[in-house]
Amino acid sequence: MNVQLTLAWRYLKGRGGRTVLTTLSVVFGVMLIFGLNGLMPAMLQVFSRTLVSTAGKVDATVTSPFGSTFSLDVAAKVARVPGVARVTPMLQRTVPLAPRIGAAAADQVTQAYVIGVDPATVLHVRDLPVATGRSLAIGDGDVVVLASDLAKRLGVGVGGTLSVPSSVGTTKYTVVGLLSSATAPGQEQFYVPLSSAQRLFAEGQNINEVDASFAQGVDRVATEAAVQRAVGSDLQVGGLSSNSSLIGTIQVAQYAFNMFGIFALATGAFIILNSFRTVVAERRRDIGMLRAIGAKRGTVVGMFLIESIIQGMLGTAIGIAAGWAMAAAGLAALNPIMDRYFHMTVGAPVFEPWTWAFAISMGVGVTIAAAIVPAMAAGRVTPMEAMRPQLGEVYERRVGRRAWIGAAIVGLAVLSFATRDSGIVSLGSIVFLVGIALVAPAIVSPVSDTFGALIDVAFAREGGIARSNLQRNPGRSAITVTAVMLGLATIIAMAGVITSIFAGFTSYITKSMSADFMLLPQSIVLSSGNVAAGPRLTDEVRHTAGMGTVTTLRLGQGKIKGAQVQALGIDPATYAKVASFEWSAGSSDAAIARLAQGRWLIANGIFASSHKLVVGQAVAFETPNGPKTYHVAGIGNDYLNAKLSTTYVSQDNLAKDFNVVNDLVIMGNLAPGAEKATTQARLESVVAGYPAFKLYESSSWLKEQLNTFDQTMGIFYVLGAALALPSLLALVNTLAISVLGRTREIGMLRAVGSTRRQVRRMVMAESLLLSAIGTALGIVAGVWLGYALVQATVSVGWPMPYFFPWSGILLTIAVGLGFGVLASYVPARSAARLNVVDALHFE
Amino acid sequence: MPIVATEALRKVYGEGEAEVVALDSVDLSVEPGEFVAVMGPSGCGKSTLLNMIGGLDHATSGSVRIDGADLTELSDDKLTELRRRRIGFVFQFFNLIPVLDAVENAALPLTLDGDSHARDKARTWLGKVGLGDRLTSRPDQLSGGQQQRVTIARALSTEPALVLADEPTGNLDSKSATEIAELLRQVAVEWGRSVLMVTHDPRIANYAGRLVLMKDGRVVDDLKLDGGHDAAADAMRRAGLL
Repeated sequence: MNVQLTLAWRYLKGRGGRTVLTTLSVVFGVMLIFGLNGLMPAMLQVFSRTLVSTAGKVDATVTSPFGSTFSLDVAAKVARVPGVARVTPMLQRTVPLAPRIGAAAADQVTQAYVIGVDPATVLHVRDLPVATGRSLAIGDGDVVVLASDLAKRLGVGVGGTLSVPSSVGTTKYTVVGLLSSATAPGQEQFYVPLSSAQRLFAEGQNINEVDASFAQGVDRVATEAAVQRAVGSDLQVGGLSSNSSLIGTIQVAQYAFNMFGIFALATGAFIILNSFRTVVAERRRDIGMLRAIGAKRGTVVGMFLIESIIQGMLGTAIGIAAGWAMAAAGLAALNPIMDRYFHMTVGAPVFEPWTWAFAISMGVGVTIAAAIVPAMAAGRVTPMEAMRPQLGEVYERRVGRRAWIGAAIVGLAVLSFATRDSGIVSLGSIVFLVGIALVAPAIVSPVSDTFGALIDVAFAREGGIARSNLQRNPGRSAITVTAVMLGLATIIAMAGVITSIFAGFTSYITKSMSADFMLLPQSIVLSSGNVAAGPRLTDEVRHTAGMGTVTTLRLGQGKIKGAQVQALGIDPATYAKVASFEWSAGSSDAAIARLAQGRWLIANGIFASSHKLVVGQAVAFETPNGPKTYHVAGIGNDYLNAKLSTTYVSQDNLAKDFNVVNDLVIMGNLAPGAEKATTQARLESVVAGYPAFKLYESSSWLKEQLNTFDQTMGIFYVLGAALALPSLLALVNTLAISVLGRTREIGMLRAVGSTRRQVRRMVMAESLLLSAIGTALGIVAGVWLGYALVQATVSVGWPMPYFFPWSGILLTIAVGLGFGVLASYVPARSAARLNVVDALHFE
Repeated sequence: MPIVATEALRKVYGEGEAEVVALDSVDLSVEPGEFVAVMGPSGCGKSTLLNMIGGLDHATSGSVRIDGADLTELSDDKLTELRRRRIGFVFQFFNLIPVLDAVENAALPLTLDGDSHARDKARTWLGKVGLGDRLTSRPDQLSGGQQQRVTIARALSTEPALVLADEPTGNLDSKSATEIAELLRQVAVEWGRSVLMVTHDPRIANYAGRLVLMKDGRVVDDLKLDGGHDAAADAMRRAGLL
């Protein structure tokens, strides 16, 4: 063991350059796996925190599946259920906050949860430890208690005031107490007396949540069921999960990123395999001597495995550190987007124990696995090798059984495509990569002949030698090509997914946001907590000089076929003049007019496809006023609701069946001939009285949206480049090995008259050939993988058309060929600089 | 008892028309402390003979005994152990591990055997072969002759009964070659090891006490040498090998 360790360490140190290259390949893979898995759970955690109550003593939460309010009597009903110890009623909503002038960006609080609680009972169920001032008391008016750190960010103390927007304007709250508990990002909470919240939100005696704690030792499941029976089927018991599709999307992203990480490590594995194969070939005589003087096979195998373990551990350790940094940097870059769309700030990366275990086992495991085959080969080196002179590389051309198995696997993968089942297609894409890896050694020679003709155009004299260099060791060339393929396939796959998401969204935005002006609530995606505006705001907008047609969106909640769905109320008379739908086949603007003719609805794509709705079909809509029969007038999407199950009904029906009369989104066009800037200024002054809303001028808003997308694209392209870097390492590694292995030949070429430039160009031509073949295979594999990922995303509820990633392919070709030139730089230079006499005597 | 004893040793490579008889009924014995040179034209089987005796290759038929042990009956592990403990090897291309220094290279067989005094013994032997001042030098910092001395120290460090040298001077200049030949004689005469050396060079063979001449896989002459300058060359001429 000791001698193995010494030898392993010394050999690693002895060829520092290659050790660094091989180790870096492990570093990249581990960095991606560890970093991305630290980033995703951090985001998931924030979403979960926001969606599910984390308060200490709450055993059951009663809410309305429609997101609506209900009578205070429900609290009393829950209290009477045997097994329930304490209950407290609540009314909570999200409110947007005006930016604080002069405060640092990190201290800005863009929204908060206003939680109206009953001072008499809340402390039985929720922990609200007061650090300064006092708790809420019975009889309190407009007073608020909040966390000390939040108060600090808002620049208020006990006795200070906070302005909170409401549907009627603004309410001023006096701070009476500061809590010692810390505020989780995205969980900024204002505790106010229930009666005050009811006034703020104009909810009379209504509440929208009852928290209950159970008596000790009761059967929780039975008690929950009893609570459900007591409150009736109109209300739900348990946690909130209405936004689980969002979590689903993040989970798909996590799955995709994990796959990319594993790809990077697989690329690393091929690099390691190549390195160790070469190392064994280079050390045949050393190994023979060791065997001659008495080293057992196991000793030799162990020596190589120890080398791989050292590299694996080193690479993994550095990879984990780099991954940590990457996750932190990634969050810093993502936070503005998260804040913008979800009003959430993600804290530090979260590394769960399984992330550590996964990253370490993958990093070390893959390195050892890649070294096993070469190590075993080393064990088979006979002591006779010590006696033989070292030979240069010779051709080895063999189409073995492995290649046929590979071809069969590729065939199977192609067949999987025909099934159109997203699971099988995903599996097929991975199987395809394995097949290509197996078949590559057999196809490297014929494919390089094909590409060789192209290379000959640029490298007339050197191309032929370069091609034969590549063909003489098809095993090594194939490993390099496979590594390049894996790296580049990731770029294309990612480009495919991103292009599809953004192309779909851009098209939605431009089509559905055709109004000149829009008034949107500050949080546009998580709509359940938004404050809607009373009719006064819309009236004021409508009567602003210079405004033409104005239309609005209103939001209700209901259920169809047991699934929750949002009902958006539109005005059929004005909607089509200001906004539009992206219609599915068989639907048109005529559907909008139809909404006015009774209980008709337009379903969006995600909802229609998940429930297989067709135009003309009758559906039972469960509304707060009981089940109503609606007919499907058409199927179409708009931007704001592309991802949520949504139906569009007339505002008259929304008022009748869902009791909703407030406007959530107001859209309007300029009157013909009106001046835009002046009208916008007038609208600004109208909106100033409604802090919950923000005025957007459509063209600048569109630009802002597309800019945000571009920023996100930028992040993904950087990530894509990081994912492709291992393939650059693979190329450099192989070329360095190839040049080293042919030192004597290069000396001979120089002796018989090759110029330094020709030697350099020969190495570059070889590099370009390798990267061209890898790029070609990578494009095929990447397009496939991207398609599979898009299908996987669709299968979790984010429908999107697949867009062919033309730009991604161009990028990949550029990256592939760029890598080809870049990778050859150092090896080509060292080959050209070889001293002829030394090279001829090189051992 | 002889250290080396081969009996009707035969080695055939290939089959049918491609069959090559590399060794044909070779009977050879080497006594303790004897320095034997094996000479012959290229392809006569001398290196094959050395490989058979060193347990590096398997015989087609016949037997090889080293220090009484029949190599044909030993498992791979036992053979490896025997090489480690009873035989020392000196190669034409030195075959030192480039990343280890002189002491570590010389100590390698002992280290592989788990000897806790490996480095001390290696130092002692490096001193005896004249490299006491180059203990921490790596192979690339040593001349060819010095590297071959490290190889000899490595071969002797396990106190073997037999040292096998395959063209030990083939890669050295004339002065270094002479020094190595003298050192090998010292190994046999002063330190009592049997040395079996394959060489092309009659001048080097003269340092041995006995010369075995081979041709076409057979031993064609086996004679004592008197230390004269031309003894080996004369013998080769007599056998028609020069």
